[in-house]
Amino acid sequence: MTEDKHIKEQKIVDQLSGTFQNLTGKVKRERRVEVSVEKKLIPSVLSYVKDQLTFTHMSHMSCVDWLEDEHFELVYILWSPELKVQLLVKTLINRENPVIENVDMIWGQLNTYQREIREMYGIQFTGLEGREEFVLEDWDEMPPMRRDFDTAEYIKDVFFERPGRDGAKDVREVIATRSGEEIPELAKKYSRD
Amino acid sequence: MPNDKKSQKIVDIIQNAARKHSLFVLAYGTGCGAIEIPPTMTSRYDAERFGIRGMATPRQADVLLVTGYLATKTLKRVIRAYEQMQDPKYVIGFGSCTINGGMYWDSYNTIKLLDKYIPVDVYINGCMPRPEAVIEGFIELQGLIKDGKANGATKYKENIDWYRANQKKVIKNWNMPDYNW
Repeated sequence: MTEDKHIKEQKIVDQLSGTFQNLTGKVKRERRVEVSVEKKLIPSVLSYVKDQLTFTHMSHMSCVDWLEDEHFELVYILWSPELKVQLLVKTLINRENPVIENVDMIWGQLNTYQREIREMYGIQFTGLEGREEFVLEDWDEMPPMRRDFDTAEYIKDVFFERPGRDGAKDVREVIATRSGEEIPELAKKYSRD
Repeated sequence: MPNDKKSQKIVDIIQNAARKHSLFVLAYGTGCGAIEIPPTMTSRYDAERFGIRGMATPRQADVLLVTGYLATKTLKRVIRAYEQMQDPKYVIGFGSCTINGGMYWDSYNTIKLLDKYIPVDVYINGCMPRPEAVIEGFIELQGLIKDGKANGATKYKENIDWYRANQKKVIKNWNMPDYNW
């Protein structure tokens, strides 16, 4: 069924997995292909898809923090104007020592994305040029987009908070008592103390 | 002119009444609130009929309008702009972000209470306040100026150590010049 419907997408997956070892790819849906590779293959896969498979447009690059599995996942999102297919190239990197090759010679705009990821997640790109500081100023804590960075704890230490009105009521409780309902267990953690 | 209290009072009344009708607002927009300023200043709501108009540089402005959330990075620039302004100077906190952090209450990089860093004379609440509310806030400020109660700048000078301590808690690398007002 998939093979009949998504011919051009399946062709891309076949071509990539024929060229590179240890590359797993699948067709997500029409016009969307996803491939996962090892991190040392990233420069060659990216330049191959750019030169050979017409994925000339670099749409975005993002990072996912898989805290429980102890790795970061980098996602390079590419678009082919000719094939009209979006390609997601994914790779996993170690959370303890996050280092990956810099690839901004393939697309110049990757420089900006990589600098942002370096600042927000603390991932080091070997050979990446540009100022260490990107958006944040004088930041000396853990990179703030990492999931083990406790924002609530941090703002309690650094910023002032308005204490709020005396006798302020909890909205959920007021509505629940008025309508005679019970607050579900999952919503209780959002209630006031 | 005899320099006694009575005549000084008369001078103050005249001065305040004159100041109230010529408020130069620093054209410095932070956050999303700056988008409400063009309609306030232009023909639709026409704030100029109350004597409120824009000014390009802090040294020539009277009112610092903090329009929305302040990242710690922006706060540094706002403090610098505020300290450059000459007396008389007033601050208006605009939108709920300056009051309690607004929708950025749990952000690691925006301040929650503007009043702890620079003295705010008038707050305008709302997210966003409409131009009518902005003009209402300015009229409130004019009332305070007329009564001689808009003394945020004096408070700032008197409690400069307290304000500095709060500012330095957020701005870690303090490399700003000292302005001797």
